[in-house]
Amino acid sequence: MLDLDMGRYAAFVWPAWVLSAAVLAGLAVRALVAARRWSAELKRLEDGRLAAGPDPTPLANSKTAHRE
Amino acid sequence: MFLANPDRFLRFTRPLTPVLWGLAAVLLVVGTWFSFTAPEDYQQGDTVRIMFVHVPAASVGLMIYAALGISSFFALVFRHPLADAAARAAALPGAAYTALALVTGSLWGKPMWGAWWAWGDARLMSVLILFLFYLGYMALRASIDDEARAARAAAVLGLVGMINLPIVKFSVDWWNTLHQPASLLRAEGPSMSAVFLTPLLLMMAAYGALFLAIWLTSIRAEIVRRRVLSIRARQALEA
Repeated sequence: MLDLDMGRYAAFVWPAWVLSAAVLAGLAVRALVAARRWSAELKRLEDGRLAAGPDPTPLANSKTAHRE
Repeated sequence: MFLANPDRFLRFTRPLTPVLWGLAAVLLVVGTWFSFTAPEDYQQGDTVRIMFVHVPAASVGLMIYAALGISSFFALVFRHPLADAAARAAALPGAAYTALALVTGSLWGKPMWGAWWAWGDARLMSVLILFLFYLGYMALRASIDDEARAARAAAVLGLVGMINLPIVKFSVDWWNTLHQPASLLRAEGPSMSAVFLTPLLLMMAAYGALFLAIWLTSIRAEIVRRRVLSIRARQALEA
């Protein structure tokens, strides 16, 4: 049976769970937002390049980007 | 080595990432349900429920550092950018998990030990040092503008921090500590009852799946970020 009455330990149990939930949710949201933001930016740049005409230079892979 | 190619990595992880997010969500819900339907422990009372968030944060936080260290090795030795992206993407979740382990451990320690913290305890101190390695790794990366130099310097620090992992794991065996010895990974098998073992294992699986989801998503974002920077740099040269 679900037991949400933490009795005299409520001041320790609930902060531990609430803090854990908040931090995990924060990590998840941050990762998803960053992924969406960079994907949108890449799409915007690629669309701009396509609109500007054919480009003979292939899209750099991350190895090239890393060394630049 | 199959996934060392960034394009292949993106293709392979594209269907895997949402599966991991879904798995993490389901495990978190089920694990939370079992955590609050388990009975009180006869000694710890309701504080046993803190264990269901403390132990997963601590154990996965330690494993994340192993992932960071191994990635750093490949980044340093083979100069592979994907390995560097993996190390970089592991640092923040690792620091957050370890911080959660420290804080939730403290919240358990006060009612059970009568102290928030014990400076002389080898397990507590080695986990604090693990947290400081994470902070140092992120601070070092942030302090060097040249990304390639930052990656190399951080990889060295990431590897040095690996020395701390066995110290964290075996601190409870090597020294007399306030922290209890291992109760899961023992030669004689887990020392706890199934009513507590079930929520604990579910929450450990949930924390692990959530980290993998965050990690893969962040590595994918890092690959895309580097492509964006590369295009911007090329555009700046062409202009």
